[in-house]
Amino acid sequence: MGGIVGIDVGGTFTDLFYSRDGTTVDAVLKVPSTPDDPSRGLIDALQAAGLEPSSLEVILHGTTIATNAVIERRGAHCALITTQGFRDVLELGRRDRQRMYGLTGVQQPLIGREMRWEIDERIDHHGEILRPLDVARLTRLAEALAREKIDAVVVSFLHAYANSTHEERARDILKAANPKWEIVISSEVVREYYEFERTSTAVVQGYLQPLVSRYARNLTEKLEGLGFKRQTLVMQSNGGLAPLSQLHRRAANIVRSGPAAGVMAAAKLAAEAGFTHVITGDMGGTSYDVAVVVNGVPRIAETTELDFRVPLRLPMIDVHTIGAGGGSIAFLDRGGILQVGPRSAGAVPGPICFGRGGTQPTVTDANAVLGRINADHPIGMKHLKRLDIESARKAMGELGKPLGLGVEATAEAILTIVNHVMARRTRLLTVEQGHDPRDFALVVFGGAGPLHGAAIMREVGIRTILLPPHPGVLCALGCAVADLRYDLSQTVERPVADLPTGFVREVLSRQRTDGEASLKSSGAEIASVEVKHAAEMSYLGQIHTLRVPLDPAWTAAQMIAAFEDIYRLEYGNVLSDIPVSVVGLKTSVYGIRTKPSSEPAAVADGGKAPKPASHRDVHFGRWISTPIYDRRDLLPGLRFEGPAIIEQSDTTSVIEPGMTARVDAHSNVLIEVA
Amino acid sequence: MDPVTLAVVRGALEQIGDEMDLHLIRAALSPIISETNDCAHGLYDPVTGETIAQGGFGLPQFLANMQFTVQRMIPVAAAAGGFKEGDIWIVNDPYLSGTHLNDVILLSPYFADGKLIALFANTGHWMDMGGSAPGGWVPTAQEIHQEGIIIPPLKLYEAGKRNEAVVAMITANVRMPQQLLGDLAAMINVFAVGRRGFDALVARYGIATLQSCITEMMHRSELQMRSYIEEIPDGTYRIEDYFDNDGVEDKPLTVALAIEVAGSNLHFDFTGTSPAALGPMNISDSTAKSLCFVALKHIFPDVPVNGGAFRPTRFTIPKGCILAAEYPSPVGGTTDVTQRVVDVVFGSLAQAIPALTPAAPFGTTGVATVSGRHPTSGKYFVAVYPYPGGYGGSSVSDGLVNGTPPGSMAKFMSVELSEHRYPVRFGYFGIRESSGGAGRHRGGCGTKYGIETLSDVLVSILGDRVDHAPFGVQGGGPGAPNSVIMSTGGREWIPPMRSKAEKVAFTRGDMFRLASPGGGGFGNPMERDIAAVEADLNGGLIDLATADKAYGVVATQVRMILDRPVYQADPEGTRIRRSAALRAESKAG
Repeated sequence: MGGIVGIDVGGTFTDLFYSRDGTTVDAVLKVPSTPDDPSRGLIDALQAAGLEPSSLEVILHGTTIATNAVIERRGAHCALITTQGFRDVLELGRRDRQRMYGLTGVQQPLIGREMRWEIDERIDHHGEILRPLDVARLTRLAEALAREKIDAVVVSFLHAYANSTHEERARDILKAANPKWEIVISSEVVREYYEFERTSTAVVQGYLQPLVSRYARNLTEKLEGLGFKRQTLVMQSNGGLAPLSQLHRRAANIVRSGPAAGVMAAAKLAAEAGFTHVITGDMGGTSYDVAVVVNGVPRIAETTELDFRVPLRLPMIDVHTIGAGGGSIAFLDRGGILQVGPRSAGAVPGPICFGRGGTQPTVTDANAVLGRINADHPIGMKHLKRLDIESARKAMGELGKPLGLGVEATAEAILTIVNHVMARRTRLLTVEQGHDPRDFALVVFGGAGPLHGAAIMREVGIRTILLPPHPGVLCALGCAVADLRYDLSQTVERPVADLPTGFVREVLSRQRTDGEASLKSSGAEIASVEVKHAAEMSYLGQIHTLRVPLDPAWTAAQMIAAFEDIYRLEYGNVLSDIPVSVVGLKTSVYGIRTKPSSEPAAVADGGKAPKPASHRDVHFGRWISTPIYDRRDLLPGLRFEGPAIIEQSDTTSVIEPGMTARVDAHSNVLIEVA
Repeated sequence: MDPVTLAVVRGALEQIGDEMDLHLIRAALSPIISETNDCAHGLYDPVTGETIAQGGFGLPQFLANMQFTVQRMIPVAAAAGGFKEGDIWIVNDPYLSGTHLNDVILLSPYFADGKLIALFANTGHWMDMGGSAPGGWVPTAQEIHQEGIIIPPLKLYEAGKRNEAVVAMITANVRMPQQLLGDLAAMINVFAVGRRGFDALVARYGIATLQSCITEMMHRSELQMRSYIEEIPDGTYRIEDYFDNDGVEDKPLTVALAIEVAGSNLHFDFTGTSPAALGPMNISDSTAKSLCFVALKHIFPDVPVNGGAFRPTRFTIPKGCILAAEYPSPVGGTTDVTQRVVDVVFGSLAQAIPALTPAAPFGTTGVATVSGRHPTSGKYFVAVYPYPGGYGGSSVSDGLVNGTPPGSMAKFMSVELSEHRYPVRFGYFGIRESSGGAGRHRGGCGTKYGIETLSDVLVSILGDRVDHAPFGVQGGGPGAPNSVIMSTGGREWIPPMRSKAEKVAFTRGDMFRLASPGGGGFGNPMERDIAAVEADLNGGLIDLATADKAYGVVATQVRMILDRPVYQADPEGTRIRRSAALRAESKAG
């Protein structure tokens, strides 16, 4: 049989994508996730697809286990060991609060104060040892902790990025006290300054490592039991893959595995369709995730806040989330202005039309009232045969009464407002980064994305939307198209002019060697190795840095020129009097997997319209009898006009009046304003 | 008014402010802007000066201050022939533009079809404005000239051309001209971002529709604010709170507030507040009013930020008092004076709406500055360490630790970054144990840190809350007061003004130790959850004596982990202990 399988293990559903030869789509399906042991859901999906694991070439998967464990505080029991005087760095953060307005609420550190310990030692920012490690006390502490219920110990000493010998020594002492512990030292997770962010990242790693190890072990055993002995690769938050065998050391790197996979898939499909600049919009029940892809490469964020005072300083695909989804609730504020979200009806009680007890009108109710979603075939609903349109209409009527709006006008107002909220966030992302949104294509996916993509396109001024063939399982596809990736970084924090000759080249070459070693030990089958170097640079004194792609052979003048080109692009000017500084040096090592590229299909009779499966009245300013297409009938080369609705098992897509749609050679539907 | 257009236009206007905020935060050179968001951007009505929209990323303290500044700049510009296309005005005169000299405000008129439609304004904190101490915090200043240069309202740009004479005059009088020029350029560029956003709105909706949307949305915000005020029981709620001293004369200063609630109107009456201080503990009236709005917005976070929301309020601030500074009173203590304004608003409204109002937060920004020439580069530097501290408990939770002041979002610089940049070394940086006010919901603990200096530098401290601790509400206890200890030449000493000290010479190996206040407690500590008290004990946040006396919790040490005791609370013993305390209390009462 052969073939590759992409599996995205989400909180609610586990999605599967199977391709016999890496190009065709031979199976797509959803099964319920199994949160108690997520590896079971993955196996269930393989079995539901009728796949024989022993015959598969490779299994690629994304997972939300890490995210959920952090958010729901279900990670390991850990202890934290810090430099004397810095026990509370993890809890203190950097003097902030959760929201700009409102002083209530506290943080929940992943390791409580009672399990945070101090050891006398001190290293300065040059890496010089000011006070030696108190080995005697550390040994006693290790022995005392060995008697406690602890799965992992995290060590984070000040300036360990500049000199890791104390952390390494501490690791050895701890390991000797209890060989069963998972031990994480901060310098191994992030080789950068900022003690809170580095400590937090190391703590996230320690907090997740036992859980992720267990998961990797379970999954390996289950797959081996089914005769699968080849490679299993897991999607990391940076959009690259890592093998299951290395997963436990990279637990913090898989925190946003699923969203990263979605962006990777969107970037890949768009590139095949000829778009290098892409905005990806994933809209589900509660949130809208948006990301930007420039020249085929998703933008990377250096630090991501997982929760209040839980930053993760690891490169992650920069996915912005706002509270706008199908379940977002519409209401009038005290000034009588209509607002939508961020409060969501969630899965329970859910939208009114789902009949699970929801009483407040949501975005999904608006789509239902306007006929945009099919009331007779609710997607993913086993408990009801038909959406409760009457109750949704009644709620719309009540909401709209004070505004002088009728039922349909209220529903349209809800959509207009939620679409503006999403369009504004989308715009903010591109414009703020110095891009013109008109140069981008929008790839929409997730259960609700294709319902709203057309309106977002119109508002942001984007020219084309790409609807992938299977928008509901895009993340699973993303796993299948990615490469292996290892990121390495090191803080420098010195003016370019002060760097010794050969320094940059030496650091980058060391990073390259380390990355290539990880790649080699992954045992993954790769076709080639790619290495990218970059420097985080700024004008001396600036806090925010810019990432500048780097050639290790460059002179100081070339580095400065490259920085200024990027600075000008971002801010429109340069500050020529001020020295330029290198804050950090970074290397990404990619293991490029062999992926047969998807062959464009022969395009049949260009320009012919598909035959609608049916017609129904849909409201676009007024009720219009609108053609409803079955996605399976949309063969390459066909064209049609809006208004139109496309239905398929995983989502519903809306094409507004005045827009045209065509099916490309890869079976994507491309929508444009006529 | 079409309700959908109204909602969409309001969002679009707020987006313009947001985009301007983000642009400056990313482009500014000064870490205080880029790292602590010490800036604000907004759009204002060119006739009334009312706020149309303000960005959501700048500091709260500028919430209404920007509007009052714009309102005072309008007649100044009118007298100079009115706002012209291509002009940009600059001002930092605190009696006019509020806060302190470091907050420089730029004003740029926006024209469409040759008609003045709105005013864009921004403010950014510049690191140094000259004066007798770097950074502008001069605890012993007796007149504003010791705090830096005053820039009266001037045209920085006229018809698109920069007035180089003005720029040269400013840069010649400050310590870090290069950084200032970078920040100035960034602030000017931001107006282009704003204009681009407004142009797109004008093109889409036309000026007439936009203007009626703006009028209507202010009206709606006013209605919204009134609906909240109506829920506060009518009455007059009074409180007095104090400052240690003004840094010059060692006597306490009083802030007296009576909030009168009548229907949907609020009157803030500061009668009884101390007259102008000799030292820098003064603020302008616009800043005092702005901080009243900040406190209100912490209580009612959903109120939108525009001129309409400010309409239902009225102020009485006695002329020349510490909350209505006049020339030549120094105002450098603004960072601390503003804290007490928030405290008294909380303290008085806690009497009326306790479910919504927290106990007093730590109440001092307590800026510590270290300045001098860097031993390796020889360049001048100013390192600024603003106090973090505990928040007050509230009806819903304990107080946060290491919070930023309510009027700020400014962060504390990373210890490692600090040591890279400045000749300092942190001895410790941690939670200050036993400093949160006792309560059903405990106040957050303060933060303690010791900074060692590695070369000859000057250390200044401008804080407060040593003599008067942050108060608890609804039966909660006060947080621990502030503490400042200097350690120079092998001798430990407390500054004579306790919370204030100016330009103390430090050398290699000297250290200053700060311990910031905790927040006040909320509710009777005898009602605190027993498991929460046990967790506080095991986390070392309270000691056994406090668990017993303040909380009535009976706990015993069950074992040790290395040298750290582990306690277990006894629920039955605690019940008996607490009811005995209750009986004693009712007997005494």
